[in-house]
Amino acid sequence: MKTDTRGAMDDVFALIVQRLIISIPVLLGVLLIGFLLLQVVPTDPAIILAGPTASQAEVEAIRQQLGLDRPLWEQFGLYLLRVLQFDLGRSMISNRPVLDELQATLGPTFELMLACLVWAIPAGIVLGTQAARRRGQWTDRVIMAFSVAGVSMPIFVVGLLLIQYVGGAGLLPFQGRGGPLWTSTGLLHIILPALTLGAVFIGPVARMTRTSVLETLGADYVRTARAKGASERQVVLRHALRNALIPVITLIGLQIGFLLGGAVVTETMYSWPGVGRMAVGAISSSDFPVAQGAIMVLAVSFIAINLVVDVFYGYLDPRIGQR
Amino acid sequence: MTDATLAEADARALEALRRKNSITRRLLRDPPAALALGFLVVVLLGAVLAPWVAPHDPFASSMRLRLKAPGFVSPDGALYLLGTDAQGRDMLSRILYGLRATIGIGAIAVLCGGGLGVLIGTLAAYYRRLDTPLMRFIDVLLSFPSILFGLALAAVLGPGLFSLCVALSIAAIPTIARVARGAATVVMQQDYMEAGRALGLGDGALIWRYLLLNCGSTILIYATLQLGQSILLGSVLSFLGLGPQPPFAELGNMTADGRKFLQAFPHVATIPALTIFFIVLAFNVLGDALRDALDPKLRQ
Repeated sequence: MKTDTRGAMDDVFALIVQRLIISIPVLLGVLLIGFLLLQVVPTDPAIILAGPTASQAEVEAIRQQLGLDRPLWEQFGLYLLRVLQFDLGRSMISNRPVLDELQATLGPTFELMLACLVWAIPAGIVLGTQAARRRGQWTDRVIMAFSVAGVSMPIFVVGLLLIQYVGGAGLLPFQGRGGPLWTSTGLLHIILPALTLGAVFIGPVARMTRTSVLETLGADYVRTARAKGASERQVVLRHALRNALIPVITLIGLQIGFLLGGAVVTETMYSWPGVGRMAVGAISSSDFPVAQGAIMVLAVSFIAINLVVDVFYGYLDPRIGQR
Repeated sequence: MTDATLAEADARALEALRRKNSITRRLLRDPPAALALGFLVVVLLGAVLAPWVAPHDPFASSMRLRLKAPGFVSPDGALYLLGTDAQGRDMLSRILYGLRATIGIGAIAVLCGGGLGVLIGTLAAYYRRLDTPLMRFIDVLLSFPSILFGLALAAVLGPGLFSLCVALSIAAIPTIARVARGAATVVMQQDYMEAGRALGLGDGALIWRYLLLNCGSTILIYATLQLGQSILLGSVLSFLGLGPQPPFAELGNMTADGRKFLQAFPHVATIPALTIFFIVLAFNVLGDALRDALDPKLRQ
C-alpha cells in the first residue's frame, strides 16, 4: 500500500517535470517579447538616470554600469537575471516599480475568475446533464441552441447587453470593484463581470457534459444499475454523471487558460482593476515596462494554472499518471 | 434484361443514392444549416459589393446628423436605415464596409495561418521523424490563449491592422495543422502513395500531387470554419483597441466606439456587436452540421 502511494506520487512528479519542460519554450518566448518591448522604449534609460546636468562621461559610465554597451544577446542575459530577481523595471507613467503596480492587480483578476467558475461550472454541468437526459426533446434542443449561441458570442457582446439592460436600469453596479467580496458592495460589484465571463464558459461545459453523459448512459454499468432497481435520479447522478465528469474536467482545465483571455476583455469593460485591464491600458498608452510585466504575469499564470489542472487531473484519474 | 442494362441501372441507382446523400443535400435538408449558409452568402455579398451597395459614404461625417435612430430620414430626404453614429456617419454603410474589413482580416489570417498549418501538418504526416517535434510545437501554440498573442504583438509592433493579422494568423495555425495532419495521415496509408513512390516520383511531387490534392477538400472545409473563429477573435482584439484605429470601419472597433453612448443611443454599439454574433453563429451552426454530415458515426 505504502509503495503504491509513492508510485503515484512519482507519477505526478514526473508529470509536473514533463509539463515544466514543455513550458520552457513558451516562457522563453514570453521573456523575449518582454525584452523586445523594453528595446522599443524611445528614451535612453542612462540619460534619464544620470539627470539633466550630467556630462557625457557620466552618462557613458552609467551605460556601462547598466550593460547597455554590451551586445544584445548579453543584454538579454542580464534582463533574464533581473527578471529572476523580480526586477521588472519602472512604469514610464507613474515611475513606480512595475512589480508594485502588478501586485495590486493579481487579487482582483483571481477573484473575478473564481467568481465566474463558481457559478458557470455547476450551471454548465446541470444544463448538459438535463440535455442528455431529455435527448432529442425540446429541452435538449433549447439548451444546445443556447450553448451554440454562447460559443458564438464575442464576450464583449454579453458585457454590452448586461451593462445596457441590467447596469443601465440601475439594478447592479457595473463600474470597478466595490471592495472585498465579503462586503455587500463588493459582492454586488462582481456579479455582472462574473456573469459576463461565465456566459462564454457555460456553452462548452454544457456541450461536453451532454456528450459525455450520453455515452455513460449507454454503458453496461448503467443498465446494471437500472436492472437492480435504482431510481432514475440515482442512475443519472451516481452512475452516469459521476463517470462522465472526467472529460468535462479536462475541458474545464483547457478552457481556464482561455478564461484568462476573456478576463482581459471583461476587466476592460467593467473597469475591473485586474492584470488584463492593466495590460491593455499600458499598451494603448505605450507604457512599455508595465506592458511587458503584465503580459509576463498573464503568461506565467496561464502556465501555472495549466500545471495545477494537470496535477489535479492526474490525481483524479489514476490511469493518467500511469501512461 | 441484358447484363449491360442491369449494370447501367445499378450505376444509375448508385448515382441517385450518392446525390441524395451528398453533403450539400444533407446540409440543405437541415433547416438551421441552410439558413446559416444563406445568411453567410448574403453577408459575403454585402461585404464584397460594399462600395456599390452602400447608400452613403461611410466616412462622411456630419454634425447635423449625429446619433440618429434607425429609420431616420434626413430633411433632404435621404434614408438612414440603421441610423447614424456619433459623427453622423451612416451606420448601414459603415456596417457594410466593416463587414468587408472584419471578414477580410479573418480571411487573411486563415490564408496565412492556414497555409503554414497545412505545411506543418502535411510535413508531419509525410516525414514521420518530424511528427513529434512539429506536433509538440503545435501543442504549445494551441495551449496558449490567442488573446495573449494579440496583446503581445500589439505591444511590440504597435496596435494596428498588421499586428492584428499576424496575431490572428498565428492563432489559426494549430487547428488547421491538426486537421491537415489527420487528413494526410489517412491518405498516406492509401495504395496510390506506394504506387507513386514505385513510379519514382520525388517527395515534392508526392506531397503536392498526391497528398495535398487528396486531402484538399477536408482542409478547405475546416479552413472555412476556422474563419468564424478568426472573425470572433479579431473582433475581440479590435474591440480592445489593439486592431485598426479609427476612422477605419471594422465591426469590433465600431462597437467599442459606440460603447460611450450605450445608455442613450444603444444602436451605435449593438448593431455591429450583433452582426459579429450572427456571423460567428452562422459559421458555428454550419460547422456543426458539416461535422455531422462528414462523420457518419454521429449521424443517428
